[in-house]
Amino acid sequence: MDDYHVTADDIFWKISRATVSRDQYTVINRTSSSVTFLNIPLINVLLTCNIRMFGQINRSVYGIRIISGLPPEKPENLSCIVNEEKKMMCQWDLGRETHLETNYTLKSEWATEKFEDCKAKRDTPTSCTVNYPPVYFVNIEVWVEAENALGKVASDHINFDPIDKVKFNPPHILSVNNSKELSSILKLTWSDSRFRSFITLKYDIQYRTKDASTWNQVPPEDTSSTRSSFTVQDLKPFTEYVFRIRCMKEDGKGFWSDWSEEASGITYEDRPSKAPSFWYKIEPSHAHGTRSVQLKWKTLPPFEANGKILDYEVTLTRWKSRLQNYTVQDTKLTVNLTNDRYVATLTARNTVGRSDASVLTIPAWDFQATHPVTDLKAFPKDNVLWVEWTAPSEPVNRYILEWCVLSDKSPCIPDWQQEDGTVHRTYLRGNLVESKCYLITVTPVYADGPGSPEHIKAYLKQAAPSKGPTVRTKKVGKNEAVLEWDQLPVDVQNGFIRNYTIFYRTVIGNETAVNVDSSHTEYTLSSLTSDTLYMVRMAAYTDEGGKDGPEFTFTTPKFAQGEIEAIVVPVCLAFLLTTLLGVLFCFNKRDLIKKHIWPNVPDPSKSHIAQWSPHTPPRHFNSKDQMYPDGNFTDVSVVEIEANDKKPFPEDLKSLDLFKKEKVNTEGHSSGIGGSSCMSSSRPSISSSDENESAQNTSSTVQYSTVVHSGYRHQVPSVQVFSRSESTQPLLDSEERPEDLQLVDNVDGSDGILPRQRYFKQNCSQHETSPDISHFERSQQVSSVNEEDFVRLKQQQISDHISQPYGSGKMKMFQEVPAVDAFGPGIEGQVERFETVGMEAVVDEGMPKSYLPQTVRRGGYMPQ
Amino acid sequence: MKVLAAGVVPLLLVLHWKQGAGNPLPITPVNATCATRHPCPSNLMNQIRNQLGQLNSSANSLFILYYTAQGEPFPNNLDKLCGPNVTDFPPFHANGTEKARLVELYRIIAYLGASLGNITRDQKVLNPYAHGLHSRLSATADVLRGLLSNVLCRLCSKHHVGHVDVTYGPDTSGKDVFQKKKLGCQLLGKYKQVIAVLAQAF
Repeated sequence: MDDYHVTADDIFWKISRATVSRDQYTVINRTSSSVTFLNIPLINVLLTCNIRMFGQINRSVYGIRIISGLPPEKPENLSCIVNEEKKMMCQWDLGRETHLETNYTLKSEWATEKFEDCKAKRDTPTSCTVNYPPVYFVNIEVWVEAENALGKVASDHINFDPIDKVKFNPPHILSVNNSKELSSILKLTWSDSRFRSFITLKYDIQYRTKDASTWNQVPPEDTSSTRSSFTVQDLKPFTEYVFRIRCMKEDGKGFWSDWSEEASGITYEDRPSKAPSFWYKIEPSHAHGTRSVQLKWKTLPPFEANGKILDYEVTLTRWKSRLQNYTVQDTKLTVNLTNDRYVATLTARNTVGRSDASVLTIPAWDFQATHPVTDLKAFPKDNVLWVEWTAPSEPVNRYILEWCVLSDKSPCIPDWQQEDGTVHRTYLRGNLVESKCYLITVTPVYADGPGSPEHIKAYLKQAAPSKGPTVRTKKVGKNEAVLEWDQLPVDVQNGFIRNYTIFYRTVIGNETAVNVDSSHTEYTLSSLTSDTLYMVRMAAYTDEGGKDGPEFTFTTPKFAQGEIEAIVVPVCLAFLLTTLLGVLFCFNKRDLIKKHIWPNVPDPSKSHIAQWSPHTPPRHFNSKDQMYPDGNFTDVSVVEIEANDKKPFPEDLKSLDLFKKEKVNTEGHSSGIGGSSCMSSSRPSISSSDENESAQNTSSTVQYSTVVHSGYRHQVPSVQVFSRSESTQPLLDSEERPEDLQLVDNVDGSDGILPRQRYFKQNCSQHETSPDISHFERSQQVSSVNEEDFVRLKQQQISDHISQPYGSGKMKMFQEVPAVDAFGPGIEGQVERFETVGMEAVVDEGMPKSYLPQTVRRGGYMPQ
Repeated sequence: MKVLAAGVVPLLLVLHWKQGAGNPLPITPVNATCATRHPCPSNLMNQIRNQLGQLNSSANSLFILYYTAQGEPFPNNLDKLCGPNVTDFPPFHANGTEKARLVELYRIIAYLGASLGNITRDQKVLNPYAHGLHSRLSATADVLRGLLSNVLCRLCSKHHVGHVDVTYGPDTSGKDVFQKKKLGCQLLGKYKQVIAVLAQAF
């Protein structure tokens, strides 16, 4: 310190290169310093003593390595075991970790001497096996000493006799022997530890049948002493048993030995302990009066056969008289029986004896089975299919349970089993598989024969259907769709179909699910949107899940069924009605239409002079009283031509001309050229207007017209005779020169106004717009003086239209005139009216009448 | 233990043999110090009986195993070669007191133990491959050693006998092979005979 010119205050301590706080320093004297650690975080650290020299230079003066740890704790739970023929091994618990190298030594001694220590290996510090052989019946004291650098500690001493810690070697089974005299015993013989000669052992014997998994225990009190054999009783005949055995000290001190190797033995045979299950099936037989009966029985299980079954003996008794014996090694026998009642018995035989007889009554062919079981149920439980029923009121000898797999692909091949008459609940002892539908039949068997069978379906374990139902549309409406589907085949059902779920959606809409009862095969989706594509699929559900079927799409129509018809039919009807009305109208107006599109063209070749009856009454034109004798005044047009209007009105003139010709034509007695004189003489009643018209007609294009109106040579014609002139004489010049037609001014100066030039115009030219009314409208313009008359005329005309729907055509009227003379006044009235309205057309009675067969307006008429 | 059986015991036997062959060791005076390393168990006599029974149960098989292992002429001349003609064998009086019987038992066990040690040593030389015999001889010696401990513990704890004078058989180390085999067979014959008596006496 002096060399470095430092004191103890310049000393500082470092631990693992970290300076220790000066709080832990203690200056002992001028040159000494100590440091105290209350807790060493590391078990192996480097502690250095450093000084700070002049110039702040640090220097390590000395260093040591500190190894920290804990003293050993007292070992606990010391125990020892002595495996037979091996050396003693003891084990203990170490306690806490010391972090130091700690030695564990097992010490042992007798009361009189000490044994060599047993040092535990480093990798197994909790146990040690001594290297001297165990000496039994001498108490030994054992303890463990743990020692490290920080201390030494010993466990508690245990004192024991090694014989009380021994684990014997397992006995060795020498044999398992049966007894012919007693089929229910097996004798077990073994050899065990050499200790058995001087200490008492006890044994633990277990046995089981070969196929069993659980062991049966021989009562401990039966094997509580040293022995080398034991006879196990109450075993089943002809059954293989497996044995095992272990041993330990009788007082329970020590350990059980390991189990011996297993050894097996078979008990001796005994007579079958039970009659075989016995049943029958009547097969179709072609022979009359006989039946083919297949008797069938079950092989006895080993625990009931009690040995190897050599054969079966079947006896058949008919009416308790005739006995038939059969010895069969198979489990079925087919016999032909009559239709009578039979009693069959069956026994099974092995080397020791026969079983009890199983009796079966085969009823007569006309036997009526009755009294079935009730409340038949079937349900799975514990991986088997249980069947439960309520017994009939009648005493039942036994029950026959038959079952088969229901399938669409394979036939029902039944399996069966028999139960005692006291049983009303059992499980099917067959190789049943899951997801298959079993049809179970329970038949009670009475003393006089079988009862009525009852059936039920069941599944050992259901599963989801392997295939979903295929849905389709049965009918698609505007807002609804009827879906239908087929029931799933039983092979794919895999369980009871509890319900269906229909999922349907539009392309963009959410899916909607509808649950449907499993009994249904169709469903109506309502509230659908018209003209929409729907996707629908269907899932079938069992108790274990469901399965979707394929998706089906359909589109709802835009219109409901009949909606189009409801629209189209009325429209069509309306159209048809309209058409019909139009046709009717056209039919009624056919003459007018015909005049427009296809006017009548008189055939001159067929014309002849009409002969009029001499008795035809004369007609008067000036009597106002006779103007409308019967109101038969129809189809009149009035055309006014203003007097001061200097226009020639060529169209009107033509119309007038046309009207006149039409008038002549419709009157039926207009005359052609040749008949003009006759016409005027024979028809005095024709008004001046007619005559005027006739004057005009003389210049028309009518070439021929002949009316014979008077009797020939004083003969009175019964009817008016019309004859068409067949003359081919050319038209008169006046007819060909219509410009010669002169309109004469009205000379009636009493009007005080400009005289109107009036003439009649054939009304057919007005029909297209206002066939009749326009006539009157124009008539009103004729003269205010004659307004009253025009009103009457109008009324009359309206009444005529109503009363004579067909009277609009002049031609028709004239056709009727000959038949009814009463029409004559009507014609007169018409003529008189013409006179009243002041027709001032120049009439030249001497001019032959003629007419234009076609209106000028139509144009292009070419006279024939 | 093997070290004890193979080295210490023969050495003690030799020492005993040299010091007092044929003379029993004196019993410790009543007031002599008798101390054990730890207290003796209460069922000590039962353990002694079990040990005697254990020895008795294996004595005959050991005897058979021995003479069988020696080969001819021993198996066919048991009476001549393996007769229990052992001189100086400690006596035993079954009708004596427990203490006397225990003292006599102690002497017999000590004698047998020493002799068995010699036989074991000789057999490992004479029949080095007779491992079954070797292990049986060693196991018997171990049981004798435990029995000796129990008897001493009993004598010490109950009868306050801390020391018993014992005698040992003749040393066979200088004898020929046949004599060694014969002496061993005679001893095992004697052992079989005596141990049955002892097992019956306790």
